Amino acid sequence: MDKYLQYYDLLELPPEATIKEIHSKYVYLKNLYSCNPIEIQALNEDFSQELREEYLSRLDDAYEKLVLLMDPKKPARIPQSLKIDEETRHWIEQIGCFDGAALRAVRERLGVDLKEMFVVTRIQPHHLQNIENEVFEFFRAEVILRSFIIEYARFLSLDPQRVLADYMPRYQSWTASPEGRGQDDLPDILTMLGQE
Amino acid sequence: MGESGRKGEIWAVGGGKGGTGKSFVTSGMGTHLAQKGGRTILLDADLGGANLHTLLGMNRNRHSLSDFFDRKVPLSEIVAQSGIANLELITGSFASLDSESINHAQKQKLFRHIRALDADHVLIDLGAGSHINTLDTFLLADKMIVVTTPEITSLENMYQFIKSVYFRKLKLIFKAHNLTATIQGTWKDRATHNIRSLKELIVHLKQSSDDIRDILEREMSGFVIYVVLNQVRTPKDIVVGENLKSVCSNFLGLSVVYAGHSRHDEAVHRSINNKEPFMLLNRFSPVVKEIRTLTEIIAAEPHPLFEKDMVNG
Ligand SMILES: Nc1ncnc2c1ncn2[C@@H]1O[C@H](COP(=O)(O)OP(=O)(O)OP(=O)(O)O)[C@@H](O)[C@H]1O
Ligand SMILES: [Mg+2]
Repeated sequence: MDKYLQYYDLLELPPEATIKEIHSKYVYLKNLYSCNPIEIQALNEDFSQELREEYLSRLDDAYEKLVLLMDPKKPARIPQSLKIDEETRHWIEQIGCFDGAALRAVRERLGVDLKEMFVVTRIQPHHLQNIENEVFEFFRAEVILRSFIIEYARFLSLDPQRVLADYMPRYQSWTASPEGRGQDDLPDILTMLGQE
Repeated sequence: MGESGRKGEIWAVGGGKGGTGKSFVTSGMGTHLAQKGGRTILLDADLGGANLHTLLGMNRNRHSLSDFFDRKVPLSEIVAQSGIANLELITGSFASLDSESINHAQKQKLFRHIRALDADHVLIDLGAGSHINTLDTFLLADKMIVVTTPEITSLENMYQFIKSVYFRKLKLIFKAHNLTATIQGTWKDRATHNIRSLKELIVHLKQSSDDIRDILEREMSGFVIYVVLNQVRTPKDIVVGENLKSVCSNFLGLSVVYAGHSRHDEAVHRSINNKEPFMLLNRFSPVVKEIRTLTEIIAAEPHPLFEKDMVNG
């Protein structure tokens, strides 16, 4: 139930909101953040493309879950379960490390394309591609990448924990590298909080 | 000075960019509050550009804040009648708030005197900029108000200003609770904690310690900024104001209330040049009604409790 409160929060509505209110607020927020009005442009670095996408996908998710909660007759978007034969299962078990390339190999072997994957996971195809190519600069927050990896793994019926254990250290060593640190252009909060 | 029991509300008007209409809106709100019958004192705390008196059709007062700072005249004795019933004015000085010449003790003394003023409302016109003294005066207020126009540069400055206010507030809280070192340590190790922004730092701190969470929730309750959108020209502009609440809470982690708008009207310009008090002589201008409405909204808000999950987004 806690989760549902978060969905209402995201839609900036009280839990007693009606389905109509949920719908119109969703449309309002979706429009606001998909377009680029001056009140958004003026946020400059506080509104990166990454933050926008993360927000919009959370918004979609919240809307869907709430609609489902309010109107259970509407079909849920049930992820298709992939058929994995014995041979493939065995092949997957042989994989030593679930890095980006291994993930792509599994996906291709299962004959799934990125668009199909997007429809269910709601992770944009270019992000899925970045995961496979280990292009990390687009994942400024580890939490986001983590949640993407979990979705990715689930979709391919892989064990998310196993994939995370292999994949995340690759990201972490990248963030620790000079290249990764170079991405850190945050305002120096330390100086703002610093001694008088 | 008057140690009266009247506990008035302090409103401060600030907001980054120059010329958005802070002084005009302050004088308008003050006039309306005075017309409703409460004793209202306007305090012109603008750097060098003190001009509230002109907006009220007054000549510059003999006394000003410099008498308070330099000649130790009590604040309550610098208050001058405005010519409008119930409305009084404390004129700014040239060496005003945004100045290094005001030391900590003087600032604290000024704040004590402001709090002790015998009035129902004290409205402080802060002028542009985000000097530390300006931020502290803004934070002194019960109602913190920013005036912006629906223009990208003005909005940029407004975001910058309210962020600075928020930083300053947090810094003061941390200092008061001896947390500065802890917070600096967490920030230094931000990579390991996965912290990318102030918003995430706050979330992390709240999750890592119940004490800090309680302190922040207590101290930040009521931390709300009211936004006034001035010089609106089209209906599309008004939408900007309505969107700000969502934008600020989602991407700055800040709670704002949109108080309302006032449109651009040549009558404002004319009235200022004629040195006439706008609110009294332009009863048919829509701006008068709009300023009244937004003043009522700000006055009516009972210090709304901080939205609990403001920083958790
Ligand atoms: N609603 C309005 N309609 C038309 N003109 C306006 C309006 N509000 C303000 N103005 C114009 O903008 C000018 C600047 O207003 P004002 O002095 O109140 O701004 P300010 O924010 O106090 O500026 P500063 O930062 O310099 O103190 C006014 O002289 C007036 O001509
Ligand atoms: Mg001014």
